[in-house]
Amino acid sequence: MQMKRTNISFQRISLIMLIVVIALGGATGCKSKKKLAREQAAAEYAARVEQATRDLTAILNDDNSWSLEEKERRFATIKGWNLQDENVVNLMDQVEDKLAQERADAMRKAEEERLRREEEERLQREAAKYNSVENQFMAIAAAPDVNTANEKIDQAMRLFASPDVPVLVIISQAGGFNDYDKPTTISKYLNYLKDQKVYNNRIEQVKYDGNGKIIELELIKK
Amino acid sequence: MRKIQFIIAVLIGMFSVNMVQAQDDLSPERKQAIDSLALEKVRDLSKYISIIGSKTTPWSEANRVIDRADELFMAGAEIGVSSISRPEVAYYKVRQYFERLMRLNYDRVEIEWFKIEYVSDLQRQPDGTYVGVITIFQKFKGYDKEGGLVYEDTTKKDITVYVKRKETQIGGRIIGFWDVLLGDMRVKETSK
Repeated sequence: MQMKRTNISFQRISLIMLIVVIALGGATGCKSKKKLAREQAAAEYAARVEQATRDLTAILNDDNSWSLEEKERRFATIKGWNLQDENVVNLMDQVEDKLAQERADAMRKAEEERLRREEEERLQREAAKYNSVENQFMAIAAAPDVNTANEKIDQAMRLFASPDVPVLVIISQAGGFNDYDKPTTISKYLNYLKDQKVYNNRIEQVKYDGNGKIIELELIKK
Repeated sequence: MRKIQFIIAVLIGMFSVNMVQAQDDLSPERKQAIDSLALEKVRDLSKYISIIGSKTTPWSEANRVIDRADELFMAGAEIGVSSISRPEVAYYKVRQYFERLMRLNYDRVEIEWFKIEYVSDLQRQPDGTYVGVITIFQKFKGYDKEGGLVYEDTTKKDITVYVKRKETQIGGRIIGFWDVLLGDMRVKETSK
């Protein structure tokens, strides 16, 4: 009877010890995992701080070959990390201002380019509009002899209301002023092309009468 | 009412002064444009002289070109003529010079101008006229009817240029233009 009681006590003690060991062992394992996770998080955070500092500094110092879009993408990524590092926060403020300036510059450049293209197209349209007149002028200048040049002059003269139609040549448009060469007449101008054998102007403006004849011609030096 | 009239008068005065200043103080771009214009007139003259001197130019054409060339000069301007065979330089009125050039006693004449450049930049004078001096080198060659070279020389000449801003009315609007006129053409040196 005594022997049976001793066995039961031993079994109870063993069970309790087992529970204690399991409980103690489990708690220790859990504690290690949390620590590991914390360490991993800290390492990841440090890596992001380092990466952010590197990228932001590179953007600030223009020490990269990234496009504006690439810089903005990197900045958005860093911002998404929500880093609280004081240095990174400071760099982000500076980079945000710099990118805003670069965006504004890029937009201004794009607008200037658009206006330049529009102006170029306008000039091409204008040039095309006066192509037939320009071609006659070039033909006179390129005529191989006096007789051919005179024939071309007679042809060109048909476009004009009279031989005395005024011809103005703009020599400069700087500072909001149009500076002109001494005005001449179309008759003298066409003969000038024949004599000098060069046409180095382009038509700026033409005025017509009711019959479609030119009554005033304004040229500009190329 | 008088106050308003006074203010308007002052404003008009200020505007006029600004306009005059705008004409006087030429920007570098505008100055460059009139520099080029004056040089271009001298180059035009070079071509005219070549046409007038050429024996293949029809008489009527030569006379028309003389008129155009004459228009480039101030009234009373003279052109110097030199020769390697005599030391003195003869000066002729512009039209007289061109008419002599047209009648030169050669069967074929070649006249070429080169090194056309400013020796004295256009400078504004108190009356608003810009005055400068352009130098040119003229290569002259005269041939006989067998095609032999009879005479040749190279002459360095200085041409005074006068550029003045003027206004004219065309089609109901005032046009401000630069009138370029050439003055005397002086012989500086002649060599073979």
